[in-house]
Amino acid sequence: MNGYGGGGGPGAGNNGIGMYGPPNGLGNTGPAADIGLEAEHTVHNSEEQLAERRVLFMGLPRSGKTSILKVIFEQELAYDTLSLMPTLQRTEHRLITGISVYDFPGIDDFSDSQYSLINPEIYAGEFTSLVFVVDSQSDIQSSLTSLFSVVRSAQSVNPHIPINVFINKVDGLSDELKQDIQHDIQQRVLKNMGYENLNSANVHFLLTTIFNESIREALSKVVQYLVPRNSSLETILNSFCSKSSLDKVFLIDAATKLYLATDSSPTYSPQYVFACQTIDAMDEIAGMCPVQTSEGEVDSAMQRITIGLDGIAEVFIYQINGNLSLFCIGVSQVINQTSLLEFNGSKIAKAIRKILPP
Amino acid sequence: MGKSGAGKTSMRSLIFSNYTAHDTQRLGATIDVEHSTVQFMGDLNLNIWDCGGQHKYLDNYLTEQKENIFGNVEVLIYVFDLETSNRESEYVLYDDCLANLATFSKDAKVYCLVHKMDKIGDPDQKIATVESYRRALAKRSDMFKPDVYGTSIWDHTLYQAWSQIVYKLVPNMGIIERHLKNFCKLTDASEVVLFERATFLVVCYTSPDQSVPLDKYMGASQSIKQYRNICSQAQSPFRSVQMRNKNSTLFIEPFTKSTYILVITTDPEIEPAVTKANIEAAKSHFIKLAD
Repeated sequence: MNGYGGGGGPGAGNNGIGMYGPPNGLGNTGPAADIGLEAEHTVHNSEEQLAERRVLFMGLPRSGKTSILKVIFEQELAYDTLSLMPTLQRTEHRLITGISVYDFPGIDDFSDSQYSLINPEIYAGEFTSLVFVVDSQSDIQSSLTSLFSVVRSAQSVNPHIPINVFINKVDGLSDELKQDIQHDIQQRVLKNMGYENLNSANVHFLLTTIFNESIREALSKVVQYLVPRNSSLETILNSFCSKSSLDKVFLIDAATKLYLATDSSPTYSPQYVFACQTIDAMDEIAGMCPVQTSEGEVDSAMQRITIGLDGIAEVFIYQINGNLSLFCIGVSQVINQTSLLEFNGSKIAKAIRKILPP
Repeated sequence: MGKSGAGKTSMRSLIFSNYTAHDTQRLGATIDVEHSTVQFMGDLNLNIWDCGGQHKYLDNYLTEQKENIFGNVEVLIYVFDLETSNRESEYVLYDDCLANLATFSKDAKVYCLVHKMDKIGDPDQKIATVESYRRALAKRSDMFKPDVYGTSIWDHTLYQAWSQIVYKLVPNMGIIERHLKNFCKLTDASEVVLFERATFLVVCYTSPDQSVPLDKYMGASQSIKQYRNICSQAQSPFRSVQMRNKNSTLFIEPFTKSTYILVITTDPEIEPAVTKANIEAAKSHFIKLAD
């Protein structure tokens, strides 16, 4: 592992073809009131109607969809998810910002299962993202066949739907083999989509495993573009970074440890992995502090953590509210100026609280 | 000491060589006796003899090498495997060890760890099992009065047992404890804990509020130690933590060259900077104390 902030190639090298640009038609163009309304709606949506901003998890049975979601949303240990019952019903997991993640039953045979009953409207909408989980250790061809069926019906409704192919269960494979598998799948998918005249501009490939943070990183990348007003968030974090001379800032959802936004400097995956592990450790240490009595939304009530490290950078964690934290990495001279950081942090927190009401 | 596969080397690796609980699955059987010397609290050298548990070695210890093995022993840690098929044969072996110990080093302290407690799920049954061991062992070892602890490498109980063990070993503990109490009073802290630097075992703790459960520090030992490993993998060694909540502030700072200190204050009137300055000021005093 390279030291974070240090060397390493540009971008997170192995994460598929495209850099993640904002998908078509998704900027901060929409009027603010409109977005606020949407967020309101999603909360009240029942099983019948899907949330406005949604991630759809699909794939063959036993490809690891439910395991992934259990690890991320229910904080289960990866080892405990090895023997789960097959998912029979669509289940919903909620992220705080009004984004829902749906776990679909595995696709055995696209033509006969409940999949033929699925209303293609679920793919519609600007804020829908599809995740297709491929088990890298079993028959890839049949996975891809059902992927194409899903893509066909999705694109018939929503030609611009982002399609994220999670190449799952890559733990235990050598780096070289991982690259080979990814390359192979990528080639096959893109070629086939070319034949069928499908739009392959929004297809991304990500290598994942539930045994390390790669799965959180992958899902973060999917979710980021569904977060309301993501480009404003990025701008805010950028200015926080430059004004406080920080190296990197993540906006992290406390429950799932996904990052909802980050500044626009390149993200090295070791940095994010380190952030996840730090938050875990700090949670345990925080258990030693006396229990807080009242949960007020007063700014000064929230948690601030400074971690001194003898390396290239130090860490500052600023809790925005019960759900969100800013994870900042910077050189020690910067982190030691706590009052400056806290002042800037409070301004940023105020802005973020306006964008993402709890 | 203990039977083959009881987990002696696993626990030693976990405490003294930064292994994680998963890593210990890789360990093979210990051949003969593995000697290791650990610097503890700076000037205290612990010579740890990890004795292989297989029959041929055990027989050897009890017959030919008994003088060598049992001479000059300060502490005997006997590890019982909870999953043993034949508890009686364990006790026989234990009796033999103690008989030898009585001949060669009379003043040794004996600790019995009932290991692999994680195999029992029910907390009541856990207590009952440790109790049954305690009674059986108390009968057998009249002159040593062993302390019995239930331990497991998967939670903090192992740290707890070892903390108690080293607490008795460190020679000037009484003085350190008194000065720490004083420091706690002077800084108006609600809790002060001293950790050993290399192992992050709790050496000593104090709090004006007597009811503070010890367990939580053990959990902290474990998580800080794990986190320190993560940090060194990221090439930025861990130094300190400062955590501020609405009504409490927590410091984890390097203290003397062999210890870390944890200070928790709950009075919102106390500025964190003051506490930090106090820790700095106390450093030199405790360094002198250690010399």
